[in-house]
Amino acid sequence: MIAPYALKLAIQSLLREKWINLLSVMTIAAGLFIISVSFFALYNIDLATKKLPEKFSLTVYLDNRLQQDEIGPLMDSFRKKKAVLSVRYISKEEAMKELKSSLKNSDYILEGLEENPLPDSLEIRLKKDEVEAETAQQLAVEALKIKGVSEVEYGEKFLSTLDAIKKGFKVIGLFFAAILSTGIIFVCYSTVKILFYRRTEEIETFKLLGATKGFIRIPFLIEGAVIGTCGGLLSLAGCFSLYYTFLLRLSMTMPVFKTILFPANLFLLLPVIGMLLGLTGAVIALGRLRY
Amino acid sequence: MIHFQNVTKDYDNQTAIRNISFSVGKGEMIFLTGPSGSGKTTVMRLIYLAEKADNGEITIADWEISRLKKSSIPIIRRSIGIVFQDFRLLENRTAFENIALALRIRGIGEKETKIRSYDALKTVNLRHKSDSYPRALSGGEQQRVVIARAIVSEPTILLADEPTGNLDPDTAQGVARIFKDIHAKGTTILIATHNRELYRNTGKRVLRLDTGNLVGEDIG
Repeated sequence: MIAPYALKLAIQSLLREKWINLLSVMTIAAGLFIISVSFFALYNIDLATKKLPEKFSLTVYLDNRLQQDEIGPLMDSFRKKKAVLSVRYISKEEAMKELKSSLKNSDYILEGLEENPLPDSLEIRLKKDEVEAETAQQLAVEALKIKGVSEVEYGEKFLSTLDAIKKGFKVIGLFFAAILSTGIIFVCYSTVKILFYRRTEEIETFKLLGATKGFIRIPFLIEGAVIGTCGGLLSLAGCFSLYYTFLLRLSMTMPVFKTILFPANLFLLLPVIGMLLGLTGAVIALGRLRY
Repeated sequence: MIHFQNVTKDYDNQTAIRNISFSVGKGEMIFLTGPSGSGKTTVMRLIYLAEKADNGEITIADWEISRLKKSSIPIIRRSIGIVFQDFRLLENRTAFENIALALRIRGIGEKETKIRSYDALKTVNLRHKSDSYPRALSGGEQQRVVIARAIVSEPTILLADEPTGNLDPDTAQGVARIFKDIHAKGTTILIATHNRELYRNTGKRVLRLDTGNLVGEDIG
């Protein structure tokens, strides 16, 4: 029976103190909007970096003494590895052809070579999710131990840079989210505290009439949750507006923006996140009040 | 029902009541009288647990107050109806809402709350003012709303601190009649007042306080 009345008290208080509450809602919305935009940017950067590994491969140079019938089993042993997507054999002739075509008009520098100095090799592509500096390095070390492999080459720098970029963005994103979430909790905490102090006399009367702590607290918890939810809804509206009125139109005129993806499902969580943050602020505020 | 044993209460080194002992039996109605500052309100505040005694023992409805856990305070307060000297009506709620609050705090359902609140308003002859806000009511009407709020939960103890303090003689008589009716239903009542008319010829016990001391006991 207390819950419906607590809800009524909360709604009355929200309407009575509408300006303080509106200010809090807008502050929370701004905070969540910044978090969302940062997340949106990170999400798209992550997608972009995920596309880079498609071009990544390891080159395993084979020993000249290796017989043709030994190459097949060697390729099979690489194919069996968990991280490997595909293995392609490139003969020394084919390698020379590729080199010549990449040199285009400068292929005269190869003239005068009496014999093909390039070795036979294997081009190994890794599965998308496995393209990490660690995996590639491990595979290279394992390959070097195999009889018939003379050298392994892989873009060590490229991979470690890619890793660093990904980790860096994640850290920055988490840092941003943590700082702003704390800020939002503090806004809710302060709002609930102000609302509480403005109703001190009323609360004192409640207590003298026999109200329990729960009866007094529940409306404030509801208020915190409602303020947080409204902030979340407002930021959600902001995100959708940003995408549909700006980015989507931009992508129609500028193809570079066509690759941008809007994770609408994830953004729908904003009101829930707002509610949880608001509730947390209210719980902390009420926990620190003496009454 | 109420038992004070050598109770003392100080405020900033000033004694409000000193070594007071008295008892109020179940269903009894007694008056606490004395000039302003004699300690009447302090006795009331000790009973409804707004204050803690510095010395002595207080027992209310078999609860020994000094051994009481903080979480039990609301339970005791729910068995007490209080008519506050300063009314303590919530300005942003109607007369009906103020009265219903006492029941909502007790977790009573909406339907029963409505019936009992209107009954209480009828008891104090204010049914027609149910939708009025306190500021739209006269002092006497506000006093009666406070009484209605105090009795609506059918408490076992009713405390009234200067219930006729700001009332004209006729309204005060009306309030006195309400208390008499409530007492007839078996409620234990303790009224703090310096209005002699309220206890004259009632045949009830009158405890006299002066500068924090219990100086005598008469029959009204």
